[in-house]
Amino acid sequence: MRFEEQLIEILPRLRRFARGLAQSAADADDLCQAALERALKSQGQWQQGTRLDSWMYRITRNLWIDERRASGRRGPHDPIDDAVVQIAGDGADHVEAGTLRGDIDGAMARLPDEQREVVILVLVEGYAYREAAEILEVPIGTVTSRLARGRETLMSLLGEAA
Amino acid sequence: MSFDSATIAAFVDGELDDLTARRIEREAATDPALAAEIARYRALTARLQRHYGPVVDETIPDDFLKLLGRADADAPAVDTSLAARRDAKRARFAPMHWGAIAAALVLGLTLGTRPWQGQPDIASSGGTLIAAGGLETALDTQLASNQGADAPVRIGLSFRDTQGRYCRSFSSSGTDGIGCRNGADWQIERTLPGAKASDYRQAASGELAAAAAAMMAGDPLDEAAERDARDAGWRR
Repeated sequence: MRFEEQLIEILPRLRRFARGLAQSAADADDLCQAALERALKSQGQWQQGTRLDSWMYRITRNLWIDERRASGRRGPHDPIDDAVVQIAGDGADHVEAGTLRGDIDGAMARLPDEQREVVILVLVEGYAYREAAEILEVPIGTVTSRLARGRETLMSLLGEAA
Repeated sequence: MSFDSATIAAFVDGELDDLTARRIEREAATDPALAAEIARYRALTARLQRHYGPVVDETIPDDFLKLLGRADADAPAVDTSLAARRDAKRARFAPMHWGAIAAALVLGLTLGTRPWQGQPDIASSGGTLIAAGGLETALDTQLASNQGADAPVRIGLSFRDTQGRYCRSFSSSGTDGIGCRNGADWQIERTLPGAKASDYRQAASGELAAAAAAMMAGDPLDEAAERDARDAGWRR
């Protein structure tokens, strides 16, 4: 199958991933478009036989992070290191439980980028921890700790009756 | 509750080894706090999937398709969407559907199997449809990677479903479907009348593949994994 056709196959899922990252549909599609252009240009770097979807997710995610850095937006908590994220873990009670009941977009927007992307990859896209770690190019322990924090925050914001 | 939140998360995400997963399942059966915690984690995942799932069903913008060299925007991409998976799951569990399957099977068995071939390939056991005869043998022993072109039953995909059971899609002249290993039997989870005409065959294999995708946890078994699973008697 042609490279372009393979891209078309994964495009619906890629758009979902981008929507989760970028929140707004328009931003997400801009991101997707940029990722497709990048992929077509660097087609030679993709190794046949490896997962094209993972490769595309990595491209998309890296573009997103670059864009966020360039515009100086790094999510509401400016987390450089997982350890300093205030909202989650022990700090989960800093946000009023259930305040965003039903507002998933709102709750996701409250997550630091690093947690949001892990939440989407694992919980929405269904990647294994190891695969998510490969896409994000971080150790697996980083994936599990970010996921745990993101999850706690979401459960808290959205209320128990998730 | 003797499991920490990381373990519960790993369990819900399907990341635990079988042994630990089974321990946690067993304990959840008698520990309401643990069961509630698992439910809480699962609910979040389900909720996120419901929220983001529909995105994959949205029409792909023409710009993207043009970029990828496809001018006709109406050609559908392969659907691997959560929504499709959910639909397939719903269809699988809808009681009406079981009636239809049973009816189709009766027809299929009457019209499709060749009486001179003896034993029918599907039997009923305690109200459940299970593989029998040549179909059972094929599901037990035949490897997708190593089957003759003229094999009466062809094995498609082998995979594990969300319950951890081994399942295999198959096609034969009488019936196409998916069988899942339940104890010593292959429970027939999904059937379509088998057909020789190639257009039917193609439609059926697409539908079967979609059904398999909906049932599957993780990736299909590769050649080695399929062989290992067979050699271990398809035990979970």
